[in-house]
Amino acid sequence: MTTHSRRLAAHEITVSFDGTPVLTDVSLHIARGETVGLRGASGSGKSTLARVLALLHRPDRGHVSLDGQPIAGARHQVAPRIRTRVALLFQSPRAAADPRFRLIDVIAEPLRALGTDRDEARRRARELADLVGLTADLLDRRPHAVSDGQLQRACLARALAQQPDYLLCDEATAMLDASTQAQVAAVIMSYQRERDAGVLLISHDQALLDRWADRVVDIAAGRIMAPAER
Amino acid sequence: MTDLTLPRALSRRRLPWRPGQLGFAVAVAILVTAVAACLLAPVLWPLDQTAVHLDRTRLAPSWAHPAGTDDLGRDVLHRSVYGLRVSLLVGAIAALVATVIGGVVGTIAGTLGGVIDRILMRAVDTIAALPHLLLGIFIVAMLRPSLSAVILSIGLTHWLTTARIVRSELLSLRTRPFIDAAINGGASRWRVMTRHLLPHVLPRMALATTLMVPHAVWHETALSFLGLGLPPHLASLGNMMNDGQRSLLAGAWWASLVPGAVMIVVTLALAAVAARWREHLNPRLRSELEL
Amino acid sequence: MTGTVTEATSPAAATATVSDDRHRVLRVDGLTVRFRLRDALVHAVTDLRLTLRRGELLAVVGESGCGKSVLAHTLLGLLPRNATVSGHAYLQVSPDADPVDLIHCGERRLAREVRGRQLGLIPQSPATALTPVRTGRRLLEETLRAHGHSREQAAAQAEQLAVDVGLNPHDLDRYPFELSGGMAQRLATALALASDPAVLIADEPTTGLDRSLVDHTLDLLRRRCDAGHAVLLITHDLSAARRVADTVAVMYASRIVERQPADQFFSAPAHPYSAALLDALPDRKFQPIPGHPPMLTALPAGCAYAPRCPLAIDRCGALPADRIVDAGTVACHRPRGASA
Repeated sequence: MTTHSRRLAAHEITVSFDGTPVLTDVSLHIARGETVGLRGASGSGKSTLARVLALLHRPDRGHVSLDGQPIAGARHQVAPRIRTRVALLFQSPRAAADPRFRLIDVIAEPLRALGTDRDEARRRARELADLVGLTADLLDRRPHAVSDGQLQRACLARALAQQPDYLLCDEATAMLDASTQAQVAAVIMSYQRERDAGVLLISHDQALLDRWADRVVDIAAGRIMAPAER
Repeated sequence: MTDLTLPRALSRRRLPWRPGQLGFAVAVAILVTAVAACLLAPVLWPLDQTAVHLDRTRLAPSWAHPAGTDDLGRDVLHRSVYGLRVSLLVGAIAALVATVIGGVVGTIAGTLGGVIDRILMRAVDTIAALPHLLLGIFIVAMLRPSLSAVILSIGLTHWLTTARIVRSELLSLRTRPFIDAAINGGASRWRVMTRHLLPHVLPRMALATTLMVPHAVWHETALSFLGLGLPPHLASLGNMMNDGQRSLLAGAWWASLVPGAVMIVVTLALAAVAARWREHLNPRLRSELEL
Repeated sequence: MTGTVTEATSPAAATATVSDDRHRVLRVDGLTVRFRLRDALVHAVTDLRLTLRRGELLAVVGESGCGKSVLAHTLLGLLPRNATVSGHAYLQVSPDADPVDLIHCGERRLAREVRGRQLGLIPQSPATALTPVRTGRRLLEETLRAHGHSREQAAAQAEQLAVDVGLNPHDLDRYPFELSGGMAQRLATALALASDPAVLIADEPTTGLDRSLVDHTLDLLRRRCDAGHAVLLITHDLSAARRVADTVAVMYASRIVERQPADQFFSAPAHPYSAALLDALPDRKFQPIPGHPPMLTALPAGCAYAPRCPLAIDRCGALPADRIVDAGTVACHRPRGASA
């Protein structure tokens, strides 16, 4: 396998909503083990790009390829075991967690979806919760009874439960205080090393990009600007 | 960190109970009594539906007959209890039928979207434009008046609200990130539907069903009153009110008033309990869906 | 730079009234807010003291859930019924105005004189703060007219405010539900500015905004202070505080644990928590603080940070009093610059 094929790539992606172009001819790749920063103003299309890469939205033109394999379709059209290889972490944890689920079930959800039985899934969820710094007493609570920082940690644990090869963080730490951000980053970086996972870091925090990203790509009005090397 | 979401407040008042709690307690008491009476009546106080006692027609309320007798000498209170039984049963089943129909239509419209959604919703709008009692009468007249005709009549005219509620819930939920997260995590369509979408929709649906029961009872009563409902010898609140008309002119007011009062009181109590349930559901829903 | 530390300020000094300092617009003294939940008591704010001067931008920083937003709502009298408040918060927008005790003056006075006119708020979640049945333009114009502008002035001023906050004036004709999160935040900011209050409380005003808009909004707040108004900026974003704050106050577990001029704070924080928080920044050590903050329903008797503090000693089992460090205060038994 050449190095070229161990990557998550967007190939000339074009997306429009109701006739308004959101992404035009966007190509981007994230190699295993690297952290790519994506920087752009609101409305530049970065979140849509993340959703396309996470196989949650089918582009009008272009396609996504995973480790050299082109993927046709999105959402339920893609086999579950392929879908889970790219995990998406959202900016607002409140919107990203089912409010009726206890935290432990939020984390265990991907395991259950792929067939793990409940006890085993919960056991694994507890391990992951410990990894992200969630205390055990929080696991029986529902999202409305925990803080944003704790909930985002739970969402991170859920993403890791998928054992993704690529992790897309869509401003995932923007709402977190400095310490929680540092902790989330530490967990992701450690997972990255262990699994040789690729990370897409969408952020407008220059200090974070400088510290964490190997290279940064700029996006504006739905188009990629010339990539900047660090 | 504990939850500091501000809207979740409990007020502390001087009274030992919250305002409205007394009314709620009364409503619950009425419902409990009604249900108990309906369940126990066949065991403790059996009724022969066809028996008539022409020697004691139109007797005023007394110890022997607390609600008097009607123009065929039948005890009004006795028949009212049985009438309530039938009315509640018919109302509950009909409400369930309506909920199932509405749930299915709403789910199809809400999950498939597009052209199908538009067609279904225009159908809903069209049916909603018709006066539902007239439509109900029409349905019963098409089939022969019977118990199942009545239930169908109510079911086919009351599913619209449920369909709209279910559809709008599903439409708004489908675009939420947590659904994306579930799909990203490998959940199948079935799993998304059953584990993530329906659990949000069901409480509202259950509430809608409960609120529909008083409507259904009224609808059945109206049909029976018009002679299009249940067979006339069967004690149903509507039949009794229909029969009671004959006694009114003779001055025997109890034959229509008592079944009417029973229906009003019980359906009000049911509506009060359901309203309280909705209150309970709402702030929790709001704080749970704090986005 | 080591600071000189003197022993606790005496309470007597704190009881001087607002008018002693002609430039003071807000003085909060001994503010305590508790919420009674079904099975617990939440200590959201405990014995909070702070002052705000004309032209000052004070940033109150802390983790989410430490009580900062409650502070904002308390000052505006927007707490739910299960809240108990004690203490004082004197607002005096000009030297010859009457000081108003926000905690005790009553709803009538708050609604008629204070809110919007003397004290404004940029709320944390604009989606819930905007009337859904009015376009942005109507909302702005109504507010402006209510504060004395004529119809023409209000229309022109509304456009100007939109430009000031970085909103395309065209977007003013949309309804709140048609606005993105960031646009709604900007609209809420414009609304708060419309009434031109002397003191503005900004509760996480940069949520959902990208870098350029964050900078833009912060600079806007800075300009207000430079023009003589005062701003209380509540935020978890330290780099925002670094950009525009004159003074930084750190909140931890319902108390203010440090208060310093901004330069002093970022170069030589006195409280171990402040130091650890700054170390967590990506342009410093990028290191998380070990452990967890305490639940606001179960605050310890002594220093709440002690369980996580590398400098903790036995004495930390007792609540530390405020000590003066250079130009600020810190509540710690072993602040930087002190002998043990």
